[in-house]
Amino acid sequence: MTVKEFFKSNAFKSLAVLIAIVLVAGALLAIFNDILYISDEERLNRTLSKIYGESVSAQPVEVSAEDAENEYGTVNSIYFITDDGNYLVNTTGKGGFRDGAGTVTLWTVIACTEGEGGKALTGIEKVVYESNEGQTYISTLSGAFYEGFTQKNDLIAAGGYFNADKNAPDDLTNIATGASQSSNAACNAVNTALCYFRAVLSGGAQ
Amino acid sequence: MNAKKYGKIAYDGLITNNATFKLVLGTCATLGMSTSAVNSFGMGISVTVVLLLSNVIISLLRKVIPNTVRIPAFIVIIATMVTLLRMVLEKYIPDLYDAMGVFLPLIVVNCVILGRAEAFASKNPVLDSAIDGVATGLGLTFALTLIGVIREFLGSGSFFGIKVMDFTIGFFTNSAGAFFVYGICIALFVLVTNRAELARRAGKARTLRIPDGAQPLPEPGKEEN
Repeated sequence: MTVKEFFKSNAFKSLAVLIAIVLVAGALLAIFNDILYISDEERLNRTLSKIYGESVSAQPVEVSAEDAENEYGTVNSIYFITDDGNYLVNTTGKGGFRDGAGTVTLWTVIACTEGEGGKALTGIEKVVYESNEGQTYISTLSGAFYEGFTQKNDLIAAGGYFNADKNAPDDLTNIATGASQSSNAACNAVNTALCYFRAVLSGGAQ
Repeated sequence: MNAKKYGKIAYDGLITNNATFKLVLGTCATLGMSTSAVNSFGMGISVTVVLLLSNVIISLLRKVIPNTVRIPAFIVIIATMVTLLRMVLEKYIPDLYDAMGVFLPLIVVNCVILGRAEAFASKNPVLDSAIDGVATGLGLTFALTLIGVIREFLGSGSFFGIKVMDFTIGFFTNSAGAFFVYGICIALFVLVTNRAELARRAGKARTLRIPDGAQPLPEPGKEEN
């Protein structure tokens, strides 16, 4: 086949049409990606509106690299809510489905008051689901499950941590039927936030 | 003449070839997204938009795209439209974007869209393809919303997110419940459309009259020798 024949062939035409379609599609997507870009600030505002049901002002708090990882999971980001003085903590809890390798990421609103020598934890105001890795039964964790974290504030203020163990002796068990491992990862995500608050944000009060 | 043709295309998309209840296409999204009526409706409208856009573009390019590479070309066009839709939903309707989750990008491989591109848009003019896309999409939206309403009402005791009763049957929020409702809906839809078709044919049937003086035809099997 000569070069001239190749350029006249159906193979060349097919290739040229496909490349043209891909280029035009790529250009179109690049333009729209720029037009419809969502900034980090907008994403944060959306999350805050989702959690609080209204627009609130928040200041980012630097996460201490030393304490970001603990036995329960990882602290991703923290915001101080200037409207009510609470902390909004984004954490990823370990110990989920997939032989403990799966994770659940949550937003936890930690309520606190100014005490002697720092801030004292008074409880958990709200827990909102964000994402997961490998949790097939994550939809089993209902609204009632997440509300369960806000109903044990006395025990939390006394220094307790949540667990997903039916046989645990304390009253801090929060487990969704049929999704014990995902429940464990969710409990660990909340515990990560509690642990970080007690170690760092409380300023030595706890 | 044109109105009749467009009416037939629309009727085919909505009823005769209803993607969900007659062709049983796009089942994965149907079962996965129909836990609530709002999500089902959102999914249906999203598929309708992608169907309309992809059908129009494919119809416009039908004489340019060589037959040998038509499927990859269709997939690229459909994937582009779905990605655009994702960007728009994430920007302007984030709640629906979050609710649709993995099923939104999976619209790319929805058999309904590729099926209409291959069977209709690649062989027909732009307006016909646009009408086919909208009709097929609305047929799918109707089916998805119907399943969503039933599952939400029985499984969660609510109607389009509004709580209407405390009694719920958890089975209907599960996959098995989705299959159950889907099967019942298919059976009822086929029953109703078949009866309607029989009634339509009966209405059109004419009684043949025997002309005066003519002998009636012998009954089969009783022919005289």
